[in-house]
Amino acid sequence: MQRRTFTGVGVAAATALVLTACSSGADGPDSGGGGSSSDEEVTLTMTWWGNDDRASRYEEAIDLFEEQHPNITVQPTFQDWDGYWTARSTEAAGRSLPDVMQFDLSYLREYSENGHLLDLSPYVGEQIDLSGFDEALVESGVIDGAQIGIPTSTNTLALFYNPGLLEQTGVEAPAEDYDWQDFNAFVAQVSEAGATAENGEPIHGSADYTSTFWFFLQWLVQQGIQPFEDDGSFGFTEDDMREFLELGADLREAGHFYPIDRQVQLLPLGGFTVNEAAAEFSWDNFLAGYVADSGTEDIQMMPMPTGPDGEKAMFFKPSMLLAAGANTEHPEAAATLIDFLLTEPEVGRIFGTSKGVPADEAQREAMELEEGSIDARVVAYEEEVAEHVTQPVPIPVKGFGSIEAEFKRLGEELNYGTITIDEFVSSWFSEAQLATQ
Amino acid sequence: MALTTTVTRTGGSAVPPSAARRRRRAAETRAGYTFLTPWLIGFFGLTAGPMLASLYLAFTDYNLFAPPELVGFDNFRMLFEDPRFLQSAKVTGTYVLLGTPIKLVAALAVAMLLNNSRRGQGLYRSVFYAPSLIGASVSIAIVWKAMFIDRGVVDRIGQGIGIDWGGWVGDPGKTMPMFILLTVWQFGAPMVIFLAGLKQVPTELYEAAAVDGAGPVRKFFRITLPMLSPVIFFNLLLETIHSFQIFASAFIISDGTGGPAGSTLFYTLYLYMRGFQDFRMGYASAMAWVLVVVVGLLTLLFFRSSRFWVHYSGEAK
Repeated sequence: MQRRTFTGVGVAAATALVLTACSSGADGPDSGGGGSSSDEEVTLTMTWWGNDDRASRYEEAIDLFEEQHPNITVQPTFQDWDGYWTARSTEAAGRSLPDVMQFDLSYLREYSENGHLLDLSPYVGEQIDLSGFDEALVESGVIDGAQIGIPTSTNTLALFYNPGLLEQTGVEAPAEDYDWQDFNAFVAQVSEAGATAENGEPIHGSADYTSTFWFFLQWLVQQGIQPFEDDGSFGFTEDDMREFLELGADLREAGHFYPIDRQVQLLPLGGFTVNEAAAEFSWDNFLAGYVADSGTEDIQMMPMPTGPDGEKAMFFKPSMLLAAGANTEHPEAAATLIDFLLTEPEVGRIFGTSKGVPADEAQREAMELEEGSIDARVVAYEEEVAEHVTQPVPIPVKGFGSIEAEFKRLGEELNYGTITIDEFVSSWFSEAQLATQ
Repeated sequence: MALTTTVTRTGGSAVPPSAARRRRRAAETRAGYTFLTPWLIGFFGLTAGPMLASLYLAFTDYNLFAPPELVGFDNFRMLFEDPRFLQSAKVTGTYVLLGTPIKLVAALAVAMLLNNSRRGQGLYRSVFYAPSLIGASVSIAIVWKAMFIDRGVVDRIGQGIGIDWGGWVGDPGKTMPMFILLTVWQFGAPMVIFLAGLKQVPTELYEAAAVDGAGPVRKFFRITLPMLSPVIFFNLLLETIHSFQIFASAFIISDGTGGPAGSTLFYTLYLYMRGFQDFRMGYASAMAWVLVVVVGLLTLLFFRSSRFWVHYSGEAK
């Protein structure tokens, strides 16, 4: 075992040497493209959130980067989502953020308002080449005129369903032009069918979708309401929220949603991933995770329900942004790494759609899409729903992480029956007032 | 011994003895503080400093990103209007009031059983102490969750004896008993202290009582309890403070949410959520100081009450 490791390291070192020699001999494929020209030895810190699978993909990409840029060493770390933001906030307080970070739209405003993130615009066109990007997507990382983040990929919402479970219940998947009421009817039908999963648990239609803040935002956009104003205030009222929560009231009452006590116990899994709920709304890049967690190959995706005017009014959410800490001592090297992760075709192949569909054209093309593979299906889904994507993504306000979590928490209480819809709405608004001030 | 050698060495010099002593004492003081340095650095850098900083932050609005802003008593005022704060106080209070006495009674009962000498004594003691060794760890919380979840061991036992109580983890009414069982199970530390206390009770007292015709119950209440009272006091104080600090198991079992329906929203967990999930450090610091004051007052109360019920055998009364 040990000897094998040593041999492995030896081979890797030798390969690295050879490759380094090659790239310096040929003057490097990248340094011609306006990359960092200095040969100064630089060490960059980099961090992301995600599971082991993502970590091994990142490591592969970083190895490749270090081969191409022998003077730059990257020190990677990673965490799960919750711990990630705790660590970043403490680092921000000490002005010691990593040089390069994977970032999320929800926290962008908080960090940028206080000048913790580097404005990347001076490096765009120099180290960073965004020619293969959709302009609107690049724009989503601009706050107050500063390019503080650049998205790696896009996500959009989808309805996932499990045809195997549906077959057992004898209920058909909703038709493409279904609306929210149709979806409710579908959930009730599945739950009433009385079928049981392999482990003997009853099969339910879906978990309570009204507990998820992003679905509320999607619903608002369909009503023609822009959820957030530029000044950080809300475009929706207490009545809007009440109306959305009422959507699920009958199903909650009748016990047709996936039972909350079981859902709480399954965390971080859910009813859908243990094959006890037939459908679930989620982000389309979850497909890979769903297949892996549930062990069910056949999971299908379809667009979101239709709004009152017959439009689905969906949006692409820029995701997995890359940002640099304002405190970085090597902004050019950081920009070089960001460019590599964003645009290097080989990186597109390494990650596939595990972070969403790549935003860069060259990376999209470099993905090896096997017919029927998960990557191919996610890409196909985004192409297929493109006609329904008619709205810009609501840009999260400051404190979004807190108000999103509060929405979920109150949704849980609503399902336990410990609070009413009115209490939900008033608690949420008083909490939101504190969080977004 | 070091003292005598120094005395002999300096004895022959011309320096007046008092000055020499003073210098020697100064040198010893210096050496003492030098050896204390690691602890002092730790105390001021990691305990006293941060505590003072948090006292200041308790009066500010601080989100980690922007510099703190003084807001007076606002945080404290908001605390007592915050339904979740009151919920966390209720949950923690229930836990302390129920968990601590039950744990101590269990510890004392087992200590008395183990006090009789019989074969395999050492083994029994180690076995009963084992849960406390691994007690506060994350792994035990995970095991606990797995045991009390739907279709877990406890659920199956329930079904075996004809009770369908389901998984406790997802039922807001059953999470508190689950946590109390967890803390009671870790009775090892107070048990060992009780055991040591029991060994100290003079056997003559029991013999005399037996001669006078006292039964085991009477012996327990008239001899064991009074003689053990200093140890009970010590354990009660320690375990109460310890109960207030419950965090890791609550964090793991509720997945960091305090759920289901706020039933595991322990004080320190809520403090953590406010500080590190919502980034409201001022608010969290205010919570921490309210806890310090409450625990301090309780400790004071314990000490004040102790002279009415704690009996020190050396005392002339």
